[in-house]
Amino acid sequence: MGRITLDKVTKSFGEVQVIPPLDLTIDEGEFVVFVGPSGCGKSTLLRLIAGLEDITSGQIRIDRQDATHVPPAKRGLAMVFQSYALYPHMSVRKNIAFPLKMAKMDPAERDRRVDYAAKVLNLTDYMDRRPGQLSGGQRQRVAIGRAIVREPAAFLFDEPLSNLDAALRVNMRLEISELHNTLKTTMIYVTHDQVEAMTMADKIVVLHAGRIEQVGSPLELYHTPRNTFVAGFIGSPKMNLIEGPEAEKHDAHTIGIRPEHLDTSAESGLWEGRVGVSEHLGSDTFFHVHDTGLAEMLTVRASGEVALRHGDKIFLTPQMDKLHRFDAQGLRIA
Amino acid sequence: MATQHSRAAARFMISPSVLLLLGWMLIPLGMTIYFSLLRYNLLMPGEHPFVGWENYSYFLSDPAFKTALINTLLLVVGVLIITVVGGVLLGLLLDQAMWGQGIVRILVIAPFFVMPTVSALVWKNMFMNPVNGLFAYAAKFLGLQPYDFLSQAPLMSIIGIVSWQWLPFATLILLTAMQSLDQEQLEAAEMDGAGPFSRFFYITVPHLSRAVTVVILIQTIFLLSIFAEILVTTNGGPGNASTNLTYLVYAESLLRFDVGTGSAGGVVAIVLANIVAIFLMRMIGKNLDA
Amino acid sequence: MARMISSRRKAVNTAIAWSVGLLIFFPILWTVLTSFKTEAQAIADPPIWFNFHWTLENYVTVQERSNYFRHFWNSVVISVGSTLIGLAIAVPAAWAMAFVPGKRTKDLLMWMLSTKMLPPVGVLVPIYLLFQKVGLLDTQIGLIIVLTLINLPIIVWMLYTYFREIPVDILEAARMDGAGLKDEVISVLLPMAVPGMASTVLLNIILAWNEAFWTLNLTAAKAAPLTAFIASYSSPEGLFYAKLSAASTMAIAPILIMGWFSQKQLVRGLTFGAVK
Repeated sequence: MGRITLDKVTKSFGEVQVIPPLDLTIDEGEFVVFVGPSGCGKSTLLRLIAGLEDITSGQIRIDRQDATHVPPAKRGLAMVFQSYALYPHMSVRKNIAFPLKMAKMDPAERDRRVDYAAKVLNLTDYMDRRPGQLSGGQRQRVAIGRAIVREPAAFLFDEPLSNLDAALRVNMRLEISELHNTLKTTMIYVTHDQVEAMTMADKIVVLHAGRIEQVGSPLELYHTPRNTFVAGFIGSPKMNLIEGPEAEKHDAHTIGIRPEHLDTSAESGLWEGRVGVSEHLGSDTFFHVHDTGLAEMLTVRASGEVALRHGDKIFLTPQMDKLHRFDAQGLRIA
Repeated sequence: MATQHSRAAARFMISPSVLLLLGWMLIPLGMTIYFSLLRYNLLMPGEHPFVGWENYSYFLSDPAFKTALINTLLLVVGVLIITVVGGVLLGLLLDQAMWGQGIVRILVIAPFFVMPTVSALVWKNMFMNPVNGLFAYAAKFLGLQPYDFLSQAPLMSIIGIVSWQWLPFATLILLTAMQSLDQEQLEAAEMDGAGPFSRFFYITVPHLSRAVTVVILIQTIFLLSIFAEILVTTNGGPGNASTNLTYLVYAESLLRFDVGTGSAGGVVAIVLANIVAIFLMRMIGKNLDA
Repeated sequence: MARMISSRRKAVNTAIAWSVGLLIFFPILWTVLTSFKTEAQAIADPPIWFNFHWTLENYVTVQERSNYFRHFWNSVVISVGSTLIGLAIAVPAAWAMAFVPGKRTKDLLMWMLSTKMLPPVGVLVPIYLLFQKVGLLDTQIGLIIVLTLINLPIIVWMLYTYFREIPVDILEAARMDGAGLKDEVISVLLPMAVPGMASTVLLNIILAWNEAFWTLNLTAAKAAPLTAFIASYSSPEGLFYAKLSAASTMAIAPILIMGWFSQKQLVRGLTFGAVK
């Protein structure tokens, strides 16, 4: 249950190919996140898996069955939409029960499952309300409830948290992760937010212009990004990417060093520069450092206690074992 | 979401509407054009010989055509000026804070729902009648001579009646447009130092321009075809003083039974309406993308 | 946002707005009042405002003398009939255009609208002659056909603008939830579309009820709806103000009430969605 394989899948809208041939396997019970900048094709890919869009060529298999031409309803997948897509004219109870009603499930079993979902999602008190009377977080939970009652082979989430405010987003992130631990069902989750990807995923698929840039666990992507795109996209603040003579010293076209892998000092170090903007987060402080003699501005992550002001002199030294090297094509040099 | 299957279904679902409208447009239109080239009078049975442009030259050179064309223009432009100016003022008034706004709105838009024959008759008899009309009473009360509106100033009177019917439409649309104006824009302008008049002319007026264009174009389409009000009040008279193009074509075809000339007039009316229509379609077409 | 406004300013606004509103409404009010007067009171000089003996006599007379109810029924049959038939034809078209838009959908919509621009007088002669030939003159069916066709573009347009506001997400969610086309339409689409369809129906009934070109030209005694019936008052019965008022009041009352309910939708219906 819940193994999804994409085999040389492509998608074109008219003349424009938005997904070049793409292979991907999603294992049973995995929490897979598709991440990438907007317009990278991640939502399209999800909709191809859902069956809401026809693929142009290739094959989609769900649990070893060819599902390429199976209509969305018959694929055994459940989807949570970005807008939640709740039925505005139905109560919460009816919304959650809808897929079961469509499956002609017997009413006793239907009620049992709906009540169970309501309990899991803390919706029991709202069952007779309409979606319009609920807060954003509650709507989100109804949408999830509607997905879980079906006991699908896999859940598809299309940027489900992007309409929530920051605090709620953190909560829902935890709830969804919790849900995955309880249900152990395959989940495919689309987001543009690499923090969501890092915190939730078993496996991250980084997409760029319809292409898969890298597939791996969050820490694999963090430690060994396969190219400069992944290096720049994963991790916050972004990795410092440096070109030119400094990179050539390391036999690379580009070198990368994460802000947390730069040691700071007031007296000595490899690069000398001046502090620009500093962002104090309490636990950490991010310094933007200029005038180091490099073309690029550098970002440094220091502990919250480091007290440096705008214009202060600062010395930076990269931790050499944490240095990433990339060639002219942007590919990682091992 | 669009798959091959759903496209075929969509075409199937659209076709009844398209076929019906196509038939409705092409068949009568073709017949009108065809008739307009024949000598065809219902009072004269027998052959309907082909006469080419004769009906057109007859219709266009008839002095009644010139009168009707001028009347049509006066009617359209007169009503447009009254309703647009009145509509902006009324819209501004209704947009203010007041008690019972909903009820005033209801009072103001009511005339739009009165069928044309009723409003024409009520105005004609109960208000404009020189003997028993309310205006006559009012004139007498003020010591003036009662005025016979429909024979002294027939076209003006009809413009008045039609304006009363269409003022609510203009008001309602302009009011809706005013209410859709973002208050923050006005407040931003105020912060930028714009006084009430500057705010009205630099923010409100440009915002309303689209709604005004829509009002003008849609009303024009309807006003070109004013018929019932003329039929009921003046029958186009006295003489041709209140005959518009629509009424003239009606008179040729169904009063004088001259199908040929009536059809030629119909074609002329279609051509004129199309000139207006092109502008309207552009306008609405733009909004489709928005 | 909302600003505090002094109550004096508000009182002034209220006074002006109510005066203007009542002035515009006055002809209707006067007609309704007159309908309850006797003929003598109706033309009394100076006019009597409220201080008269209220009577229903005019309503009774109008019904007895000219079988008012038959014309009323004609109006109902013609306006409701043409609206429902129009709706049945337009719903599939609007649905398809809103949810399966193609490259030519926009052109198609504009073309439909353009048929509305055809001045009726341009096709009066052939329609009249055709109807004469096939016996549709002065029949309810004949008028239903014509009014369905002239209002079809408006119905399609209004439905289209309403359908387009239904988020595609929700239909896709239904599809994911296992709804077939039938379930999708009945359980999800229709309930969400009903408000839009209701206002479309309402506006269209109003337009059909008040249509006064084709109804005047294509009917005589038998199928005449109220527009044509009232026109017959133009002389000499029109001088019986009280009866004219009674007939008029009955003719406009139902539509006035419907119109007040649909005033919001009216704007977008009549401007083809260009003003909302």
